[in-house]
Amino acid sequence: MRRLKEIISDLQDFYMLSVRGLLSIFKRPFYFKDAIEQMDYAGAGSFFIIFIVSLFVGMALSLQLSAELSRLGLKIYTGKVVGISVIRELGPVVAALVFTGRVGAGMASELGLMVLGHQVDTLRVFGVDPIKKLVTPRIVSSIIMLPALTIIGDAVSLFGGYYIAVFVSNQSGTLYWSSIREELIFENVFSGAVKPFVFGYLIACICCYMGLSTKGGATGLRQSTTKAVVTSIIMIIISDFILTRILLYVLGFPV
Amino acid sequence: MIVFDKVCFSYGERQIIKDLNFSINFDERVAILGGSGEGKTTILKLIIGLIKPDSGKIIIDGEDITNKTEDHLREVRMKFSLVFQEGALFDSLNVKENVAFCLREYTKMPEDEIDRKVRELLRIVGVEHAMEFMPEQLSGGMHRRVSIARSLAACEPRMFLYDEPTSGLDPVNADNICKLITDLSKSGKGFIVVTHKVVDALKVANRFMFLKDGELVFDGDREKLLHSDIPDIQVFISELNYAGVKDV
Ligand SMILES: Nc1ncnc2c1ncn2[C@@H]1O[C@H](COP(=O)(O)OP(=O)(O)OP(=O)(O)O)[C@@H](O)[C@H]1O
Ligand SMILES: [Mg+2]
Repeated sequence: MRRLKEIISDLQDFYMLSVRGLLSIFKRPFYFKDAIEQMDYAGAGSFFIIFIVSLFVGMALSLQLSAELSRLGLKIYTGKVVGISVIRELGPVVAALVFTGRVGAGMASELGLMVLGHQVDTLRVFGVDPIKKLVTPRIVSSIIMLPALTIIGDAVSLFGGYYIAVFVSNQSGTLYWSSIREELIFENVFSGAVKPFVFGYLIACICCYMGLSTKGGATGLRQSTTKAVVTSIIMIIISDFILTRILLYVLGFPV
Repeated sequence: MIVFDKVCFSYGERQIIKDLNFSINFDERVAILGGSGEGKTTILKLIIGLIKPDSGKIIIDGEDITNKTEDHLREVRMKFSLVFQEGALFDSLNVKENVAFCLREYTKMPEDEIDRKVRELLRIVGVEHAMEFMPEQLSGGMHRRVSIARSLAACEPRMFLYDEPTSGLDPVNADNICKLITDLSKSGKGFIVVTHKVVDALKVANRFMFLKDGELVFDGDREKLLHSDIPDIQVFISELNYAGVKDV
């Protein structure tokens, strides 16, 4: 019973943090400098890893599909299937998972250490709202940077797929690109573009919440960082499914 | 005025503060003495609303702060300037930026004025040379002094709260800090200094409280403290006999 109460009160705190963190974007004072710094860390800093991961995901996907589709004599569909999977599904999820591992874990451990070092209490003593000062810039940076990284990742994946399709599987490059261009319709792009915003928001909220609720030294920090990453990953995968379901329905795709 | 009315506080099952009653004016110079782990820091945190009592009332300036939200507490907190025991500098900022934190937050001071002010504050606490250092490059005592400088930059507090300002400092610097505390109170702003060093407490304060097992066992002036017959206080005071300053 006490456990249940704790869970409910934790959820309530989490909810408060996410809502206030988001609403604070529109309230004074603004911490532009902190937001820019976070964006630099989250965006520019993650570029390289997103590039590598997306490239290889795209290549592997294209390789698998070429192998399977050529067995069925449907090789010409490689571009189409790669395009749909990357834009609608793989791109956003892969970018979000990489982002969690690199940026989310960083947020949780940084905030956790600030809690343990009484720095968050110091902010409160100085009359500064820690949610505004610490959480909001991170939310802003995540909901701007994750979509940007996703777009870059998508492009790199498609390019990786192109490389395999043309130079390994000997398909026509023009056909590959034209079938991908056919897939760049509003429905597909939209369903791929909504996800990273939601994921970015979720990652920032979960990781900040876990970081700020750190208790008890190095072990506590380890726990809260682990929890931040694990919870984020689970929530990304679950919300991806839910979003896919909703988007397919809203956009009128027959399932 | 700070009023504690039957305040109780516990961490989990452990009761730290039991039924505490006292009142302190903003212009008083108070020292709270007590052994390690008796709940001195806890009292400061209660005053400033970082933690909430389980029962009882804490009244600051006529307002009960026990049920206030974070937003309302901000105004209460601005009345005080608290120096944490651990210093708690922001470790991503260098010494200068740490001290300038409140100036940047609450004023639109031009850069050169901030620079001048920070330099002056650091000179007062004697760490001017460390202006460009990062917190991790500071020694424990320097960390504490920078932290004091940072609190001094806070916007015009009504009262200063110091948590163990002199522990871990060499006698010269400890004495400097005591002088600083005294100087700052000359303008009529009081302070509460939490410490377990009686020598330093006697240098700065004129009202003394002694905390034991979460209760206030002593509250009085210097004379009363020096002639108290409470065993624990006598142990604290015996430190003075070694130092030979009992009759100062
Ligand atoms: N976050 C916490 N969780 C659980 N117990 C705590 C916590 N902080 C402090 N305590 C307990 O509360 C008691 C009072 O702590 P407090 O920090 O007020 O002591 P103190 O009088 O300031 O001691 P010192 O002179 O060593 O600084 C201690 O016994 C400590 O064990
Ligand atoms: Mg203490």
